[in-house]
Amino acid sequence: MAHPAQVGFQDATSPLMEELLYFHDHALMIVFLISVMVLYIIVCMITTNLSDKLILDSQEIETIWTVLPAITLILIALPSLRILYLMDEINDPHLTIKAMGHQWYWSYEYTDYEDLGFDSYMIPTQDLTPGQFRLLEADHRMVIPVESPIRVLISAEDVLHSWAVPTLGIKMDAVPGRLNQTAFIAARPGVFYGQCSEICGANHSFMPIVIEAVPLNHFESWTALMLEEA
Amino acid sequence: MPSMLQVVGKQLKSHPALVPLFIFIGGGAAMSMVYLARLALKNPDVSWDRKNNPEPWNKLEPTQQYKLFTINMDYSKLKKDRPDF
Repeated sequence: MAHPAQVGFQDATSPLMEELLYFHDHALMIVFLISVMVLYIIVCMITTNLSDKLILDSQEIETIWTVLPAITLILIALPSLRILYLMDEINDPHLTIKAMGHQWYWSYEYTDYEDLGFDSYMIPTQDLTPGQFRLLEADHRMVIPVESPIRVLISAEDVLHSWAVPTLGIKMDAVPGRLNQTAFIAARPGVFYGQCSEICGANHSFMPIVIEAVPLNHFESWTALMLEEA
Repeated sequence: MPSMLQVVGKQLKSHPALVPLFIFIGGGAAMSMVYLARLALKNPDVSWDRKNNPEPWNKLEPTQQYKLFTINMDYSKLKKDRPDF
């Protein structure tokens, strides 16, 4: 989750989010370089004593400031397209989970082998225990095995919602009547938070997503426990 | 009345800085048109021939590559694990 007053991205948990972070660093560096250069030129223009009232044009500088921006744009576009195609690749998921958006909670269905489903409501602020995060905790977490490719099928039962987990680099709209698919690998164990990202009514800000990535044997004991409880 | 091309050619001779402009803008426009044409002709979501090939999106092979680039995927190595209709 984000720490207070955080401005930058959260640390990446999935390999795709890592790639996105690298690309963001690359593009932001280019943006900073351009901004600093423009600022420097402005300062030079304002503080110079030189003046030549007879310059009309110059072919050399025109060529330079046509070619350099074009090259800069290509240097941004190529890594961007690479990540775009990387995100669309076919993977071979070990597990498929359905995340359904409701007003105002998420429900998760693990129907690969048995009938496992549960709702995930936000824990109200007055019910939080010390150490829990306000407006981010949920009563049932979506537990997944770590280092396994997971496919998530996202839809909604009433209005538009959006299933977003920033540390995994995932945001996918939950559209009623439509099935959206996304996939990820959690490269490290942990608890990862996200919030509904499409306005859906009064409690839109109060339907968080909590994912818990655990080793495979813990995941199997968890599924056994959940099936027993059902 | 000289043609548009001759007028532009004359201007290019006295302003050679315009040549890179033509290259980049022309190249960009050409690449966009080529990609649009590729999508129209080779994308399985598009159906041109309603009699002979009405629904090409139903004829997808598991080993065929539909996208322009692949970074890490080798589509010829994928297996087909879906049931036939």
